[in-house]
Amino acid sequence: MTALVFTPEHDELRRSVRRFLEAKSPSAAVRALMADETGYDTEVWKQMANQLGLQGIAIPERFGGSGFSFVELAIVLEETGRGLVPAPYLSSVVMAGYAILDSGDESAAADLLPGIADGSRVATLAFTEDSGRWEPDAITMPATADGDRWLLNGAKSYVVDGHIADLLVVAAETAAGLSLFAVDPATPGITRSLLPTLDQTRKLARITFDDVPARLIGTPGGAVATLPRTLDKVALALAAEQVGGTQRVLDMAVEYAKVRHQFDRPVGSFQAIKHKAADMLARLESARSAAYYGAWAVATDSDEVPTVASLAKAYCSDAFFFAAAENIQIHGGVGFTWEHDAHLYFKRAKSTQLFLGDTPYHREQLAQRIGI
Amino acid sequence: MDIDLGPEAARFRQSMREWIAGNAPDGLATLTDWNVTGMTGGNPVNAEAERSPLYAEWERRLRAANLICAWWPEKFGGRGLTPVQHAIFTEELSRAGLPYVRRGFGEAMVGPSIMAHGTPEQQEYFLPRIISAEDVYCQGFSEPNHGSDLAGVQTKAVLDGDELVITGQKVWTSAWYRANMIFILCRTDPDAPKHRGLSYVLVPFLDNNILARPLKQMTGAAEFGEEFFDGARAPLFNVIGGLNNGWRVAMTTLGFERGGGVSTAYLRYEKQFWDLVELARKVGRERDPVVRQELAWAYSHVQIMRFTGLRALARLASGQEPGPEASTTKLFWSEYERRLGEIAADLLGAEGMIRPAGDGYPISPWQEVFLASRAGTIYSGTSEIQRNIIAERALGLPRAGSAS
Repeated sequence: MTALVFTPEHDELRRSVRRFLEAKSPSAAVRALMADETGYDTEVWKQMANQLGLQGIAIPERFGGSGFSFVELAIVLEETGRGLVPAPYLSSVVMAGYAILDSGDESAAADLLPGIADGSRVATLAFTEDSGRWEPDAITMPATADGDRWLLNGAKSYVVDGHIADLLVVAAETAAGLSLFAVDPATPGITRSLLPTLDQTRKLARITFDDVPARLIGTPGGAVATLPRTLDKVALALAAEQVGGTQRVLDMAVEYAKVRHQFDRPVGSFQAIKHKAADMLARLESARSAAYYGAWAVATDSDEVPTVASLAKAYCSDAFFFAAAENIQIHGGVGFTWEHDAHLYFKRAKSTQLFLGDTPYHREQLAQRIGI
Repeated sequence: MDIDLGPEAARFRQSMREWIAGNAPDGLATLTDWNVTGMTGGNPVNAEAERSPLYAEWERRLRAANLICAWWPEKFGGRGLTPVQHAIFTEELSRAGLPYVRRGFGEAMVGPSIMAHGTPEQQEYFLPRIISAEDVYCQGFSEPNHGSDLAGVQTKAVLDGDELVITGQKVWTSAWYRANMIFILCRTDPDAPKHRGLSYVLVPFLDNNILARPLKQMTGAAEFGEEFFDGARAPLFNVIGGLNNGWRVAMTTLGFERGGGVSTAYLRYEKQFWDLVELARKVGRERDPVVRQELAWAYSHVQIMRFTGLRALARLASGQEPGPEASTTKLFWSEYERRLGEIAADLLGAEGMIRPAGDGYPISPWQEVFLASRAGTIYSGTSEIQRNIIAERALGLPRAGSAS
């Protein structure tokens, strides 16, 4: 596979995913699910698995997936980002999936990944706490050894799809350091509450744990090394989603600028509008470069992944937000309405900019990672 | 990350590596950092190193191997390198720390125009003189009253027998002091519509009733000149593409000129970035959170230049046309460098208000970057023009004043 070039097979994957999502998750469906507590269409989710194998695309074959790489996964993510598709894809496939895979625990992977791969199990990663901090060092929730089991006590917040997941992968502190645990949310001692979100296309939950028994994934203290690597992949997954969203808002803005007339001419013929659109395209293409390079870096297990992940998370977040904001501006009054889709992308852009750490956080991380 | 360009490209790379290893004069690579390009104090950064006999020997060997203007077709004296081969050639020179010997405007603009629009006689006469550097060209396009609106130029040329007699003024002519030829756009039919009355003429620059003066710029240097044409003469043989066809000739871009430097252009910015880190350390501010944000911002942009260059190379290698990312390159690096200059100026602090002592207007290297970067967003198409072009060509937005 040559880096940075999409093959005809890649293009076909993108086309079929886009066709599917446009048909099954159009704007009306998105809006209906925004108002729905579960937040995703279980039928569509099943079809994503059965018809297109999307959940398992990058999960190794020995764990029930198709064994493709992060490049193919990024294509799917770009399309889900483009459509603001309300589905627990980021949470289950990327966050929980990679947390389990990166742990190196073959037994846990064999038990847990096949269900994620065929969509029968919806998982998520619970690591952030009420502090709203994103660095693994900020995790304080303890996991105490109790014979040959572990008990979790405390609270996790901002858990994507946490309220409906049927498997929680939880990061908690043991005496040996940060570790990962698998928990069935139906276990007594767990309470889950849906948090009302600015971006209603992505659900977040707060989860409390009261002496909840949990299964260790990997080794005690193992997550010190592996969770940062997982979060790098999540950052690059978000970057791919953001590229999809940025392209969509650019398309929206350009289309509007061509048909909306004022002063007897299309508003897109005015230089101020042209310059906004040009700036949106310039940032989109740079964001694309960062996201794609990152995807290939993960796929080739490059040692550049940590720096590209920080770089891409910051850049792509800002590019998406800028473009979503300009899209509203180019639309004028109608861009401010609830009815128009511009605000959906604007809210997704801001939320993904904040999720996993904001731009200053990732720029500081980048500075450290390059040795400054 | 390596872009797999295919087995033929790999063989070509190997052959280039071997040729370079066998022909690079000892000591040339260590003479200076040839990857750093640009101007300082009004001169190319490596001007002195270029005067070394090692450089001259290197130049001779490149010429003998048709590796000057290497991407020109073989029938015109080049090696006919494809865009991918040209990119590989540039990469291998960079890897070996050796200079890419270029023939300036002659290689990049005049030669291609002659190849596309010249007669066989013109090609036979002018092209070898570019490769040999017998003719060194400067560009006579902009005028005091016509910069962005190039098609409106007023310098006029009148037919006198088999010569054109040229009167007018040109401005912003870079490296005029090294040139013996100036290629100009001039008006040969004042009655024709704007774009259709222009001719593209190769004009002898010396002893030809052209008064050339340095144009002092805000860095204190004079990299550009202004020229007053008072009856300068050029034979009709020097009109490329025929009379009144100059606009089309000037707009010539050839498909095969892409590739060179696409994956190496970022290198000078990468070096500049680490110099900036060094500056931050020197002034004791590398732990300042705001400074760290700015350094990370700068690093991100340099890496994005690298990533975008690799994307472009990968597209070339797979035979695809350049994508929209190609139209934003100039905008990206020029606006980056402008902001980079501001970051550097601010890091200098109070000392940034003070210049080095000496005659004239000497400035420190970072002061040079700060001041000189204000021109990057203006020359070769202002940022505003670039945005118009991107909006119209890449996004299809309608031209100003159109009703559809």
